[in-house]
Amino acid sequence: MKNLLTALTLGCLALMAGTGTLQSRELPKSALQNYVPWKEDTVHTFENLLVQHEGRVKPLYTVARFTLMQFLGRSAVSFETKDGEQHKLHYAAWFLDVLFRGEIAKDMPVFIVDDSAAVVQIGVSPKAKRDRYSYNELLAGRAKLAELGAQYAEKQDQYEKSEKDPQYELDRIEGMILTLGRNVSSFEYLLGQFGFARKGELLVNGNILPPELTELAKRLDTVEMIDKMPEMTLDQLVQTIRQQPGETEEERMFSGALRLFFFHANSARGLNFFPPQDPEKEEWTSAGDLMLAGLESKEMRPWVKTQLAGVQGLVNAKNEGEEAFHAALRSYSDAQHATAEARGEGTHSELEIHLYRGKWFSNSLVFFILAFVVMAFSWLTPASKTGKRLLFAAGVLAFIGLALNIYGITLRCLIRERPPITNLYDTVIFITGTAVLLGLILEYYTRLGVGTLVAVVSGVLGMFLSIKYEAKEATDTMGQLVAVLDTNFWLATHVTIINIGYAAALVAALIGLVYLTGRFAALFHKRENPDFYKLLTRMNYGIICFCLFFSLVGTVLGGIWANYSWGRFWGWDPKENGALMICLWTLVVLHGRFAGWIREIGIHTNSLILAIITTFSWWGVNNLGVGLHSYGFTEGVWGALYFSWGILAIFLAMGVVLWLKERGERTTRRSGAPSGKEVPA
Amino acid sequence: MASSSPSPDWSPRQWPRIFFRFFTSFKLATVVLIFMTLVTLLGTLGQVEHGLHAAKEKYFHSFWFFDKIFGIPVLLPGGLLLMILLFTNMTLGAIVKVKKRWKGVGMLISHIGMLMLLAGGFVTWAFSTDGYMALYSGMSSNRVESYREWQLEIVPLSKEGVAEKAWIYPAGYLETMMPDEQRVIHAESLPFDVVINGYAKNATPIPTAAPMAAGVTGKEIDGFKLSPQKPSKEAEQNLPGCFIEIRPRDGGAPIEAILWAGSYRFDPRENPMPFTFTVGDQLYGALLVKKSWTVPFTVRLDEFIFERHPGVSMARNYESRVTRFEEGQPEKPLEIKMNEPMRHAGYTFFQESFGPSGAQPGDDMFSQFAVANNPADQWPLYSLIVTGVGLGVHFLIMLVQFTTRSRKRFQSNPAST
Repeated sequence: MKNLLTALTLGCLALMAGTGTLQSRELPKSALQNYVPWKEDTVHTFENLLVQHEGRVKPLYTVARFTLMQFLGRSAVSFETKDGEQHKLHYAAWFLDVLFRGEIAKDMPVFIVDDSAAVVQIGVSPKAKRDRYSYNELLAGRAKLAELGAQYAEKQDQYEKSEKDPQYELDRIEGMILTLGRNVSSFEYLLGQFGFARKGELLVNGNILPPELTELAKRLDTVEMIDKMPEMTLDQLVQTIRQQPGETEEERMFSGALRLFFFHANSARGLNFFPPQDPEKEEWTSAGDLMLAGLESKEMRPWVKTQLAGVQGLVNAKNEGEEAFHAALRSYSDAQHATAEARGEGTHSELEIHLYRGKWFSNSLVFFILAFVVMAFSWLTPASKTGKRLLFAAGVLAFIGLALNIYGITLRCLIRERPPITNLYDTVIFITGTAVLLGLILEYYTRLGVGTLVAVVSGVLGMFLSIKYEAKEATDTMGQLVAVLDTNFWLATHVTIINIGYAAALVAALIGLVYLTGRFAALFHKRENPDFYKLLTRMNYGIICFCLFFSLVGTVLGGIWANYSWGRFWGWDPKENGALMICLWTLVVLHGRFAGWIREIGIHTNSLILAIITTFSWWGVNNLGVGLHSYGFTEGVWGALYFSWGILAIFLAMGVVLWLKERGERTTRRSGAPSGKEVPA
Repeated sequence: MASSSPSPDWSPRQWPRIFFRFFTSFKLATVVLIFMTLVTLLGTLGQVEHGLHAAKEKYFHSFWFFDKIFGIPVLLPGGLLLMILLFTNMTLGAIVKVKKRWKGVGMLISHIGMLMLLAGGFVTWAFSTDGYMALYSGMSSNRVESYREWQLEIVPLSKEGVAEKAWIYPAGYLETMMPDEQRVIHAESLPFDVVINGYAKNATPIPTAAPMAAGVTGKEIDGFKLSPQKPSKEAEQNLPGCFIEIRPRDGGAPIEAILWAGSYRFDPRENPMPFTFTVGDQLYGALLVKKSWTVPFTVRLDEFIFERHPGVSMARNYESRVTRFEEGQPEKPLEIKMNEPMRHAGYTFFQESFGPSGAQPGDDMFSQFAVANNPADQWPLYSLIVTGVGLGVHFLIMLVQFTTRSRKRFQSNPAST
């Protein structure tokens, strides 16, 4: 027991040391003198606001999360103010600053630039090679950024249209400038969302307005102005603005007011906060859309004014202090939720916040890492009672990690009202959960420690991958489905089953790695336990059979779905081919074994080939850019795949060495001592 | 040294036995499966360079093919040959040769299921047809068009420009034409011969005055040249073109023209635009059209419903309300939507896509159906059921065997547990 405690303490110290190292990293300096954080209650009320984004009504919390990930590649903003204080803002608090304290948000370092060459090109003084910049720091290069961004966007468009002609391919720096330009533009839209409600406070693009309009903006109430305008469409508004203002003061005033109105309406697009007036309509609108709708129809104006006045009330309340602001936010949020609920929308928003706030997947990773540390200590005293206890503790920790993973997946199912897998991100968390479960089941039956090892390694790698993938893609992972996927039956059957097959293939490979490592190491210390390896082989063979069953059934079910949807069972689509290759290679193992070509080492080395095929099918084919299952290019996937295949190739080479050695020994045995069996003459 | 195995008897008397042993062996199955994996991989990667259709033909619908592996040209067995070998191996090995024991009944059934799947694949490849039908609301048709195959039609036209019959140069013949090949077509029913040359699977006419026309060889006709293009990876996107020369047999002056598939209609409401010419007193039209065929019933599109997810361009649902008309049958209103096709008289209508491209909500849109005639349409489903039953039976037998053994072991040595 004492040993157990010592080991655990050491593990915790190691983890704490790692965390400490992370915390002591230097934070980017902000131009802000100081920073007063929002109260927690205010942030919670704010994050509960609803918005229709990418086709679905969701809490603002989710939008904030993925917007910051898109800009910064992480979910918290850290910086140091001039007064020497260090701050770490949660994405919801940051988003609240962007919408209601834009001047402060402009000084927060939220734009990650991977290579300073990109900022040099737009005429901004570079910081470190890879660093974070605030909007104000990039402002000097804003015009150049817009120019280069437009140029590279056109080049990228040509690249797609020319079926990927290399002459149009963006290089790394061009790609960064394009991304940075898009992020800065998105940020400006966010800053301008409530510009109509802030009299004269022009946070972005104020420089494009002439001085007289800037002055006018301080006096003009955009919301009140709607009532006084003539009915006109957007086209008529644009045409009127383009005309020369009249001679009289009144005409000039009218023209200026129209230009300001257009300026605010244009800045307030993107965030759809307002449920439609007509209950039959589905599309929510932004403040900008509302302003234009009010301009177009006098009938709409009373309703439009009420909606915009709601936001105006929030902006005014913010100026009165946080208490008043919080009260106004709560009242606005209650009203918005009541409207949405009456329409049957936003019903799972609290569950969604619970999903992200709970950090179930990150916590799951923490438990898997803990399990790994504990298990590593168990290897110090493998045959002792302490070793067994530690191994059991590792299994329990892995089980808790699995429970958190399953809980997170269940929440996602409930929020979307869908089966567990609808996109690539879902496959990562599902396959991880399945692999961990398989590992723990193996451990339950074999008690060798190998099942726990498989479970823990699968958990660590899978959850780490899921977190990296989510940060890299930085888009809502619970997005809407295209029409053909709008079928819970096929998603629940074909997609789930085929991914269980993937998980089994990866588990087989991990067992293969354990086997080959053990046998290869035994070449040097000459101690081997043949029974242990035979048991591993039986385990791996069983898992390969399991993989075949799920891959085969899943593939055929996929064909049947394709036959219902597209009129053909099999189209040689890359994803179909990937699944087929998994089935074929498991059949190679099974038939090769019956043929006498594949024995112990063969089963394990082939399980590694199976893993190479599986990862190609899972990630590689999506990036080929062809086929019906091409989910879009994920940068860096090929590099990661080549790296993992390189590692597997080393183990394959170890397998070949073992096989050659065993073959040599067999030949020696045959040529030396008689085996006792009769050989036909 | 251990004694070597006896040399096999290769006398002709033994051949049937040797062949049987070869085709039923696990070793053949293993080799075939390894090659199938390799060919599937090459065919998948080949799609990046050649496109799906060309890759399918090269790798999967062939008996053999050449490919470069690490820069070295290698002759490899094609998908067709491998599947024939696998079918033979499974039939002889897993059905005929295998010992018929109750323990193996599950495996026997599942192999039968897999054979059904392969047989279904062969029937689909050999006998199925697929095409499409596009309709605007209110339009009806019984004609299905091919996605990729083009044919040449010569059409006698009435004075009003209406065609009653057409003379067809089939798609299969056109497909085999080489770019520098010339073919003279003689039809007794026509008062002229037609000479086709310069056929390109993908081409575009260019005005001679355009700068890019300088690099285009070939004839200039009416201020245009035909510029052959690299075939598109999406074979459906290819627009073929060729030169034709009409040679009247009564000694009249020959008539030359460029025929280009781009002048064919791509919207169901547009009429094809043939090249027109007169021989004698008769007006004729010549055009490249998609190969088409009829189905034994007519489909009228009553309503096309198209929904997007709110605020984004992604389609959430598209479905067609149609009425089917068939001689001697009452008209039948039906719905065709994603994952819910209409199956009738051996044909299946799938909701495939919609158009025209770039249409916005509220615009007049057409609905496009994929129309397949596949005698083996449902075989994969039956095969899955059979295979599933087979594997289920096998696992059940294994389970019974395992528990029985465990019980016996327990009874013989209870202390060991």
